[in-house]
Amino acid sequence: MWADLARILRLWAPRRKALILGLFIGMLSALSGVALLALAGKGVAAGAGGVGLVGVAALVWLRPVVVLRPLLRWWERMASHAGAFQALADTRVWFFSRLAERMPGGIGLRGSGDLLGRVISDVEALDRLYLGGLMPAAAALAVVAAIAILLGAEPGLMALLVLPLGLALILPLMLAPAATRAAQRAAEERGGLRAAAVDPIAGLEDTLAANAEGRALARLTRADANLMAAQRELSLRSAAAGTAGTLLTQLAVLAALGWGLSSGAGGAAMAVLALFLAIAAAEALGLIPRAGALMAGAAASARRLFEAADTRAPVEEPANPAPLPGGNELVLSGVTFGWRPEAAPILENLDFTLHAGERVAILGPSGAGKSSLAALLLKLAAPQSGTITLGGTEIAKLTGSDLRQRIICLSQDARLFDVSIAENLRLAAAEAPDAALWRALAKAGVAEFVRSLPDGLETRCGEGGSRFSGGEARRIALARALLPPAAILILDEPTVGLDAEAERAFMATLATATEGRSLLIITHELTGAEPLDRVLRLAGGRLLPAAG
Amino acid sequence: MRQARAQGGRVALPVALGLAATLCQVAFVFLIARLLATILGFDGGGFGELAAAGALALLSASLGMTQEIAQQAAGERARASIRAALFARLLELGPADPRGVGEKATLLVDRVEALDGFFSRWVPAAALAILSPALIIIIVAMADGTSALVLAVMGLMVPVAMALTGIGAAVESRNQMDVLGRLSGRFVDRLRGLSTLVQFNRAQDEARALGVAAGEFRLRTMRVLRVAFLSSAALELLAGFTLGYLAWRHGILLAPQSTDPTLALFCILVVPVFFLPLRNFSLAYHEAMSARGAAAELAPLLEVPPDQGLLLEEIPPRVALVFNEVELRYPGMDKPALARLTFALAPGETLMLVGPSGAGKSSVLRLLMGFARPVAGRIAINGQDVTRLKPAELRRLSAYVGQRSHLFGGTLRENILLARPEASEPEMLRAAEAARVMAFAAHLPQGLDTQVGEGGFGLSGGQAQRVALARAFLRDSPLVLLDEPTASLDPGTEAEVMEAIARLCTGRTVIIATHSAQLMGLSGRVIELDGQRLVEQHVG
Repeated sequence: MWADLARILRLWAPRRKALILGLFIGMLSALSGVALLALAGKGVAAGAGGVGLVGVAALVWLRPVVVLRPLLRWWERMASHAGAFQALADTRVWFFSRLAERMPGGIGLRGSGDLLGRVISDVEALDRLYLGGLMPAAAALAVVAAIAILLGAEPGLMALLVLPLGLALILPLMLAPAATRAAQRAAEERGGLRAAAVDPIAGLEDTLAANAEGRALARLTRADANLMAAQRELSLRSAAAGTAGTLLTQLAVLAALGWGLSSGAGGAAMAVLALFLAIAAAEALGLIPRAGALMAGAAASARRLFEAADTRAPVEEPANPAPLPGGNELVLSGVTFGWRPEAAPILENLDFTLHAGERVAILGPSGAGKSSLAALLLKLAAPQSGTITLGGTEIAKLTGSDLRQRIICLSQDARLFDVSIAENLRLAAAEAPDAALWRALAKAGVAEFVRSLPDGLETRCGEGGSRFSGGEARRIALARALLPPAAILILDEPTVGLDAEAERAFMATLATATEGRSLLIITHELTGAEPLDRVLRLAGGRLLPAAG
Repeated sequence: MRQARAQGGRVALPVALGLAATLCQVAFVFLIARLLATILGFDGGGFGELAAAGALALLSASLGMTQEIAQQAAGERARASIRAALFARLLELGPADPRGVGEKATLLVDRVEALDGFFSRWVPAAALAILSPALIIIIVAMADGTSALVLAVMGLMVPVAMALTGIGAAVESRNQMDVLGRLSGRFVDRLRGLSTLVQFNRAQDEARALGVAAGEFRLRTMRVLRVAFLSSAALELLAGFTLGYLAWRHGILLAPQSTDPTLALFCILVVPVFFLPLRNFSLAYHEAMSARGAAAELAPLLEVPPDQGLLLEEIPPRVALVFNEVELRYPGMDKPALARLTFALAPGETLMLVGPSGAGKSSVLRLLMGFARPVAGRIAINGQDVTRLKPAELRRLSAYVGQRSHLFGGTLRENILLARPEASEPEMLRAAEAARVMAFAAHLPQGLDTQVGEGGFGLSGGQAQRVALARAFLRDSPLVLLDEPTASLDPGTEAEVMEAIARLCTGRTVIIATHSAQLMGLSGRVIELDGQRLVEQHVG
């Protein structure tokens, strides 16, 4: 738990100043609460003791404190929240870039519903570390220290107060481990609920087509019940801790009174002061035991975030990257590869050369490893044995981003994002003028369609291009892949979802669309219109020249 | 908020427990005042009172804890019923609903969770914020009328201060929920397409853009909080002023008189107890505000009366189908997706719809699946108007394979059984065999028990499509609707699957959307759609 929390704090280091400012104002605000009740107590004690003037003097000081306290309180909350939100935004960005590094091929087996849960709720839960943990701890520490100083003249009395209050202060540390486990379970169940909600909705048509609404609802209800059971345990722990905190501060109140009763008239003034201080401490310390439960929640979230973020990258980036070579010849020699080491390899001892400017198609049945081949060329996976070179340099020695400037791939799962068509296209070439976008759309045979839309290039695509038909979305993705001037283009099933005529038309324009570039088309069938130099067939993990 | 009111009765227990706890605290404070007076040299209590105060503290603590557990339970029940109703509603709306997956997930998980504070904290806190202070004012009035009056006036100022700051907070809170929804939608969208972003070397740019979006969210949130915190500062000011005034008043009173000051001290010490429920209310009030923001989005979904469609008495063994002048429009599109489409299909006939993408081939299937409703014309199955059926009932007639089939998190076996969970193992195996799922599943280490993730990680597009076809085989329905069923299959597999599809078609009414009827190799009628005209022919 502590290691995860410490790592979060290190992530937040750039926001140190804002976060510490929040803590400092929080301590001031807590001390103003102590001052308020200490002055009231002095006034009462003095008044009762007949020392009217001193009492009135104490009460005069009350006035500025009465005004100051709400101001400090407001400032404390603004400063601490502003700091916490900045730190959280940083964490989000860090997590996203980290996933981009560690899962460049996509989210895969970790369902994105669960991953969404990680980013949104886990990152948000981290604010508890600061707002629910560190802030109350700092305030309570300041209060206990102030009380110790104010009661310094009477060590016995001081001990009577500081002992229960100090116990309330360290209570969260003792309760933390068990609470961490409970919080971890609650966070997991929340991820489970999200998965139970997202999965049937992501496959909505299939859920409905199978009349599986009732089963999906039953699964959601089960996940909901599990989450609530976990939340119940967590809140039971937090309620018990809160009750313990309240009892300990009330114990301090009773201790002050007990000391007063037994010390007689001489100690009356000190006893009254101690009583009011104990009452003042109740507010600051009452929050503390709960802080343990909250911090445990933050630690559970941190653990899940780091688990995802620490997934090993499929391919390590080279420590000393080689410069991009001049040549564009791709050579695979003796490449063997399988996604699961225990299963039989998909590609076995494969040799293949794509000469610069050459246009080659690779045919093969589904599952034969065509997409795996593309993944290897893009360094989304590394071969178990054999080498892949680009212009004579092993691609393992090139950085991923350099390699991707040279090789562009239209993958089967290329996604359109929920922004405009223009923004989607400019993902591939940020500076491209509208004319270039239209040219790319025309090459992909979709310019006419885009022109027919009321908002043209500015039409929003919807999540995953859901606003368009499968064929239209695919062609826009194709236009995006054609936009950057990369020397090597890999098209993985480029025409899936296109009708025969559009497919033929597209293939026929490929010659001009890809002028001067190397082209690798990975597909299960050819239309015959492709301007190809060679056609190979992938079968049984090997590449063979296609017959006919 | 109608849902909210229906849940109101469940908070009676926590409110009663809260009131009992308040009484305990008042008694505790009274004993403390008495002991304090003793310390200041007046006659009064001793260690007996101290022990009694300790007992009261224990009692009030256990009451408080019981109250919290009762509140949690009330909140749980409310959330569970709302979440289930919302999920059912989203499924009922189906693919016609324009919201993205991320947005729907946010509604189901986060928005409903945001309602938790409303039921488990705000409703009891609101009741206690009126009842507990009233109770305390009555008790204090017996001790000192002026103090009771001051407490009453200050107590009444609290809702005024909250109303002044709360109105602004409500508006801002709704904006904040909007931003949160967009932010989370953006995260899911980008995370799903992470590989696309990486491919174009744009992951770092997007991370930065997400940072900017988060920054915007922070600014908006701070705007809400600025007002929200102001109202709690106002509460602090009122509490501080009350305490200061009463301390001054009783401090002055104490000096000249030597009567028992217990009641005067009680009036001072009771101030924090008096403000505690108001403070809890203030905390919960802003929770209620953000719950309102969430409720405003949920309400339009929940308050729709359920679909009144007819139920299907039994599934007919054979299906005849008539489309008469059917027109379909999608919102926001100029051209109709289908314009006055007319055709008839006899039981057992196979129809292939061909045409360029976007010509409306899929739309015909979507109408028959109840995913969309025609704006004009009539669709009849065995002479009955299908729009009078509940969409879910309409779907019981058909097996459907869409262009992009989804594999659910679970095993291959579970994914096939989705179509008919009560199917026997041999039936399931036959379906898997017929759709050529076994051809690849046999090579997987765990066979049909292999886990496939959301989106079907580990399986190629063609393999996923074969699982979807296996579902159609297992479903065994009189109407079969296939949307480009072999689009992602290679010729070898396609030939095998087509042979299986031909078997599936025997004796059933079938509509296949395809870009090439010849490729299908099936015999049957062909209708070419291109938005304008209809060309009928026959192949096979």
